[in-house]
Amino acid sequence: MSEQPLIRSARFRSEREADWSRLENLVSQAEKRGASSLSLDEAQELAGLYRKAATGLSVARDISMDRSLLVYLESLVSRAFLTVYAPQENLTGVVARFFAESAPRAVRASAGAIGLATLAMVLGFFIAWALFAADPAWFYTFVPAELAGERGPGASTEMLRSVLFDQEAELAGQLGVFAAMLFSHNTRVALFAFALGVFACVPSFLLTVYNGLVLGAFAGLYANRDLGYELFGWLSIHGVTELSAIIIAAAGGFRLGLAVLFPGQMTRKDALRAVSRDAAKLAVVSGIMLLAAGLLEGFARQLVQDTEVRLLVGWSIGAAWLSWFLLAGRGRT
Amino acid sequence: MSGRATTASAAARRAQNKRRWFAITPPEGVPVRFEIATIAARFGAQLADVGLTVAASFALTILLALLPFNLDDATLVVFFLLMLAIRAPYYIASELFWNGQTLGKKSVRLRVLSADGRGLSTHSVVIRNLMKEVEVFVPGSMLLSGQSLGWFWGTVLLVWIAIVLGVPLLNRQRLRIGDIIANTIVVHDPKPELLPDLTDGAGDEAFVFSAAQLEHYGRFELQTLETLLRRHPLSDADKAPDPSIVAVTQQICTKIGYEEPVPDSRALAFLHAFYKAQRAFLESRQVFGDVRDDKHHSQPDTDGES
Repeated sequence: MSEQPLIRSARFRSEREADWSRLENLVSQAEKRGASSLSLDEAQELAGLYRKAATGLSVARDISMDRSLLVYLESLVSRAFLTVYAPQENLTGVVARFFAESAPRAVRASAGAIGLATLAMVLGFFIAWALFAADPAWFYTFVPAELAGERGPGASTEMLRSVLFDQEAELAGQLGVFAAMLFSHNTRVALFAFALGVFACVPSFLLTVYNGLVLGAFAGLYANRDLGYELFGWLSIHGVTELSAIIIAAAGGFRLGLAVLFPGQMTRKDALRAVSRDAAKLAVVSGIMLLAAGLLEGFARQLVQDTEVRLLVGWSIGAAWLSWFLLAGRGRT
Repeated sequence: MSGRATTASAAARRAQNKRRWFAITPPEGVPVRFEIATIAARFGAQLADVGLTVAASFALTILLALLPFNLDDATLVVFFLLMLAIRAPYYIASELFWNGQTLGKKSVRLRVLSADGRGLSTHSVVIRNLMKEVEVFVPGSMLLSGQSLGWFWGTVLLVWIAIVLGVPLLNRQRLRIGDIIANTIVVHDPKPELLPDLTDGAGDEAFVFSAAQLEHYGRFELQTLETLLRRHPLSDADKAPDPSIVAVTQQICTKIGYEEPVPDSRALAFLHAFYKAQRAFLESRQVFGDVRDDKHHSQPDTDGES
């Protein structure tokens, strides 16, 4: 150091330099080893030094022309800001909160949208049912060929029955079914019903009705051959979960679409952001349910060949989902 | 002022402006700026992350195949299932627990930031990464799977990819759709580096400047001189002077009307002394409310000889 008098901004700097380098050390310690590696005193010191450095920055902007100092202070303050305001989460906390509180709350808050989606699917189901009863050729209109496979009004009753009670015991085959299910038609419907809801609900509504149409056409076909009860059991074991997943995904899409249609006092962008808090949770719930449905379809359906047991398993799992949605996360707010 | 901006200062400013900045105001009320990540850096980070997740699922698949399971033809299926199971949780967990940095982002020094000036929330991290699945991975895997989609879905896919690529290219902050919905932004990680103050130990008393001689330059010229002097610290004064130092010294002497001759060997000492005097002068003018951004700010009549 020289004995010459320092100019004002250099004096300003020399008075605070020690604090800044202390802050820098604390910040890099917190970044490298996590904020939990700081002791209580150090954490308090970090917060205090951060505020001091922020004040220092605003003063320096006014009195100093030393660009390197300004650049340094700005990046120090922004780095300290990131450390001080870092998300303090841990894995178990996030997961537990999701399952215990936020997910069921989001589902309950979307009850209206879920009702709408259910209505759309039921509507599709009965339209297809009625039309199939009038003329079986409608089947080909509703059900895409790759989904129907060999099933159709032309197939024999024996063939239709064999689809319901096939046995594939190999692990590879089951995994294949599971994977096929995951990347299947219904997953795509759920994904698009959610994502396209932004466009004023219309695509979500159409997709959900369409899914009901496919279902209704199949139901009409099997009921026609007196296999309705068996189909119901076959569908129940995974379908209760899978169709609920589609309905919930579509409900998420409806929430987004409704925010676009009726933003209320907010701008549309803000309304979308606000509603995306619930919608994202619905999407995750729907994803979890689809995964569960895939496991059920891949493994449980082959293991359980009895229609009554299928019904029991399918609907008790459905009841489990329902009680999760209805009962969890009440009380504490 | 001419609108053309053909001066050196204007050109330098324009170069500065190519780097895009994003200002947030933390709760403390002092705004700070972050440099917005370039598309290339983000692409590199993404590539590294995809590489990591693919490698991880590959390693796990091999591990499973070595265990006494009969995978056979299901190997590929297992691989894709693992990819799906690893990918989204990896992005979400790493951005949440490492404060907005996946390993790929760490490697190129990028960081996700909440655009509202608060900390990152779990919600925004989840949203931006779920949207990444929809934006990048679903169309990507559809393309890679190579199965024919038919003209309708093929067109939908192409339009979707065009939108996904177009959004970050077309907005100033290079946000992708997920960033817009989650209200986040990807920035370069700030790296504080404190350089020594140039005025420490400078101020050779042999050089004295009058107030009139210091009227000529503004902040921009001062900071340009600072950049030059950072490359030539005062400790280099004994060495043979760099030609640029001599040239700048002559230019300054002519401009401000410094009449004593400055020998080449003293040029660096002269510049350091001038920097200190000029900075002290400009800073005190600024305290009085006379902000001089560059040399054009000074009054025309003080431009003459002193």
